[in-house]
Amino acid sequence: MTAFRADPAEENTMTATDGSRAGERELLPVASAARVRAALRELARPHRTAALCGLAVLVAATGTGLLTAPVLGHVIDLVAQGRPASAVTAPVVWLAVIAVAQGTMTALGVSLVARLGEGMLATLRERFVDRALRLPLERVERAGSGDLTSRVTNDVSVITTAVREGMPSLARSVLTIGLTLVGLAILDARFALVALVAIPFQVHTVRWYVRHAVPLYAAQRVAVGAQQQRLLGTIGGASTVRALRLTGEHVGLVGRASQAAVDLALRGTGLVTRFYSRLNLAEFAGLSAVLATGFQLVRDGQVSIGTAGAAALYFHSLFTPINIALSLVDDAQAASAGLARLVGVAGVAGETDEDPREAPSRARGPVPHGPPIRVRGIGYAYRAGHPVLRDVSLDIAARERVALVGASGAGKTTLARLIAGVHRPDSGSITVGDAAPGPDGVPAGRHVALVTQEVHVFAGTLADDLRLARPGADDDELHAALERVGALAWARALPEGLETTVGENGHRLTPAQAQQLALARLVLADPPAVVLDEATAEAGSAGARVLETAAAAAIEGRTVLVVAHRLTQAASADRVVVLSDGEVAEVGTHRELVRAKDRYAALWEAWSDGRRP
Amino acid sequence: MRVPAGGRDVLRRAITGQWRHTAGGAALAAGHQAGEALVPVVIGLVIDEAIAPGDGGALARWIAVLALVFATLSLSYRFSYRAAERAAERAAHDLRLDLTARILQPRGGAETGRLPGELVAIATQDAKRVGAVHIALTAAIAALAGLLAGGVALLRVSVPLGLLVLLGVPPLLLLAHLLGRPLERRSGAEQERAAHASGVAADLIAGLRVLKGIGAEATAVDRYRRTSRDSLAATLRAARAQAWHDGGMLMLTGVFIAVVALVGGRLAAQGDISVGQLVAAVGLAQFLLTPLSILSWANGEFAQGRASATRIASVLAAPYAVTGGGDGLPLPVRGRVRLREVFCGALRGLSLEVAPGELLGVVTGDPEVATSLLRVLGRSADPSPGAVELDGVPLSGVDPAEVRRAVVVAEHDADLFEGTLLDNVAAAAATPEAVPAAMAASAADEVAGALPYGAATPLTERGRSLSGGQRQRVALARALAADPAVLVLHDPTTAVDAATEARIAAGVREARAGRTTIMVVTSPALLAVADRVVFTDGGPSAAVGTHAELVHDNETYRATVLA
Repeated sequence: MTAFRADPAEENTMTATDGSRAGERELLPVASAARVRAALRELARPHRTAALCGLAVLVAATGTGLLTAPVLGHVIDLVAQGRPASAVTAPVVWLAVIAVAQGTMTALGVSLVARLGEGMLATLRERFVDRALRLPLERVERAGSGDLTSRVTNDVSVITTAVREGMPSLARSVLTIGLTLVGLAILDARFALVALVAIPFQVHTVRWYVRHAVPLYAAQRVAVGAQQQRLLGTIGGASTVRALRLTGEHVGLVGRASQAAVDLALRGTGLVTRFYSRLNLAEFAGLSAVLATGFQLVRDGQVSIGTAGAAALYFHSLFTPINIALSLVDDAQAASAGLARLVGVAGVAGETDEDPREAPSRARGPVPHGPPIRVRGIGYAYRAGHPVLRDVSLDIAARERVALVGASGAGKTTLARLIAGVHRPDSGSITVGDAAPGPDGVPAGRHVALVTQEVHVFAGTLADDLRLARPGADDDELHAALERVGALAWARALPEGLETTVGENGHRLTPAQAQQLALARLVLADPPAVVLDEATAEAGSAGARVLETAAAAAIEGRTVLVVAHRLTQAASADRVVVLSDGEVAEVGTHRELVRAKDRYAALWEAWSDGRRP
Repeated sequence: MRVPAGGRDVLRRAITGQWRHTAGGAALAAGHQAGEALVPVVIGLVIDEAIAPGDGGALARWIAVLALVFATLSLSYRFSYRAAERAAERAAHDLRLDLTARILQPRGGAETGRLPGELVAIATQDAKRVGAVHIALTAAIAALAGLLAGGVALLRVSVPLGLLVLLGVPPLLLLAHLLGRPLERRSGAEQERAAHASGVAADLIAGLRVLKGIGAEATAVDRYRRTSRDSLAATLRAARAQAWHDGGMLMLTGVFIAVVALVGGRLAAQGDISVGQLVAAVGLAQFLLTPLSILSWANGEFAQGRASATRIASVLAAPYAVTGGGDGLPLPVRGRVRLREVFCGALRGLSLEVAPGELLGVVTGDPEVATSLLRVLGRSADPSPGAVELDGVPLSGVDPAEVRRAVVVAEHDADLFEGTLLDNVAAAAATPEAVPAAMAASAADEVAGALPYGAATPLTERGRSLSGGQRQRVALARALAADPAVLVLHDPTTAVDAATEARIAAGVREARAGRTTIMVVTSPALLAVADRVVFTDGGPSAAVGTHAELVHDNETYRATVLA
């Protein structure tokens, strides 16, 4: 019995051992600014024509719009010169024509800019998902799965907002500002020069803002994330909270997390309002400078009153586009941070030997059904100096069913994951079939499927979910796979049968049904070898038996390694491997090991004690 | 907490709860808008009184006035927006807490038919939207003030011109609204399709391990690419429609300004108004578009806020899962539990009797029976007909929180929470001393020993950093540490290895000595330590005996527990 005491430092605790304190997590990388720029250039390349056309049209639109002020100035001059009222009609007609032309061209230009931005965004998100799904699982786990999820949800949505709302208004604002200055210069170069008085105020304000806003918004994102996490934990565990009468405590915890987020949000508001207040100063400085200049020039007889009026109107109409452009600094900042995080992940895939173009399910060499698996002297540690497996060697014959047994913490799950190719051994090699091991001791290609207690029902129809495992499968094949794992009856009874939407926002499957679905996928994927880890543990004891029957059907004809929790699984296996403290302690058939009266026998004794009539 | 009747009520309470901030904010924001309206007026005055006559003293005076206007509008903007934002955040915070309290209410019922993610979205996004109504309200009041100020200024310049602008602007915006309406509806649907792409991506990432397990990455990537392209097409259609709508708005306002210039120019040419007044009028016509568009934006925010408030109200007003019965229990609780012909869910006339201090095993082949039994024992549901009694008192007459003080139901899939392992075990502990004993009895001490910082190790993502067996042991330790008069355990060791399970069985028996314990399990190790075992299918007849007797005499029982 003592031999099975848990080794203090291992097995399934891996995410706890290196993931429990945020500081110890090795988050996925973030790309440098230069790499982000390069990635953007590359994304923009196919849309170059659309981008140039869009820009040209927008420049024309903005330029046309700027004709409004001089035409108004002309009206003022006509009035000042005491011309008859009918003289204003012609320039006013021009105002209307300008408006129609500007509207049309703006619509066209914005559409083209949107095509550029949206096209780039779509390519980027596709590329990200492609890389993310091909990341080595080990890498994802070191980072914590939340890292990847937050990139695919938060970062993508921040960039989407920036592209969808920020880009068109930024393009238009910047063009308006630029061309207005040009317009001012045409009226009189001195107007444009004094208008620049506002710039130092604006530059200073933006720099001040960015300096304060970046760390504050980072803290705010963390607080909002913590609030979300807290709510999800509390609400997801509501029935536990009620059962243990923890309601008051949890409302308090949610309140604290929410208050922290509120406080930071209000600090952010303080910052934003100060930002705009300071920009008002720039507006005032610029406007008074333009008015004073107009005064001077009119008095010296260098420009007409109309021109001075037009200049003032020009400058006044700059307020809004400048505010829009500067306020987008915020979005741009967030979007570029998100972009760096997305591009960063794309870089990881490049570092691994898992070629993104090669479908990992396809074997490099042909592997017959039920290949032998040879494990030679492998060692593995999640943390240096704390080996979980030490010099483990193991042979699984073709189509053999081997059960892996041992106390919690003996290294069962780790060994299972190594054989399934999720982790790379630190030393030793694993061979599946006749394929030679790769350079890192990983089995070449992926022939070993892994089914764990973690189930996920993909959002979409049940048929789509199943077809993930075999894209071309027809309905008969789907039915056969469901039948084999004993799931056809409930699948047919769903409101729309195989076409029922399941997963998030869809029909909710029970944990046992979800696990049966996982086994049906396994049948369809039809891998030569399988590792089952706690695949039947989650359903509770009554459901477990249904699942065990289903699992037995799904793995027939394959080479199988089962991480056994119920010793009945071990008793029915061809052979049993007992792991203890990261080493192979015993190997043999159930009968042999029971007769050997060693560790397995003790374990069996404990298990079957209460079972004997 | 008062239960609001509907969305309107939620909205009204959110607003009245923060009225001080909102009122103050609106007053200041009105000052801001009025200031913005005054800027073109001052520009016009500078032209008339300083530039046209070439009066340097007037220029200095009017620039000083301009400085004053800017200072006022800037400061009032600053503090009005802060007040509005504070009101918004506070209202959202209060709603969040109300929702949390309702969801966690001992009588339950709020989660019925809703996924946790959905409830979290209501407590975050919808609460935020309702809060944001304060910002819209502040802005709308300010916009009205701006309209008023601009209108008065225009009418003072010239009554016909003022009337033209004031009467011309509303139909203009109405036209824009009508133009935008079908667009809004269509782009809403298309944006939903566009959002679908990121939903699919998140879903695939969430199932990453499963995809990797069967090598379905390439298929998933292909599928995602198709979704993404569909989304792109929908988004582009929406963006194009939006662009033409915006372009149309530009045309309309441009033509409107032209009309104002025509009328104003003619008035000025006839000498009815000055040049400066003409400039001011054109500036004001442009300015007035802003408050009016703010009003239509605020209208949209109110609509969203109302929809969110309705969702919040539906959670807050969700019917309780158990109603009636608010009494306490006679103390001390001795722990005699009796089920009298209970019908509830899969229970069809089950009767059961548990003596004080007994360790009872309940075995059933139907998981639904186990679930229903747990629900009635913890008063998450009331039997109908039938009764569950504790010390002779029907539970349906007792406050659910009081029931759970005496009866703790530890479900098979009980959740762990953020915090350290020790925090989790001690969360509901009767006394601090109960914790180490409970950890030893459930073999959670071994779990702690395997963690880098022992019992002080923080657990992440609802304990997902632990393995299934480790989680179960921590949850069991928590239940044992609560040390209730009646403890109901449901399959506490399904993912635990056999040797540890045997240790836990002995530990539970010792820890619960003299206290009533009901174990709804099929584990022979646990059943072997029970005083008595009831084998039921939820119906009135049940086989009763010790584990050994039932294994010996009852073939179905043997098949159920010894598979």
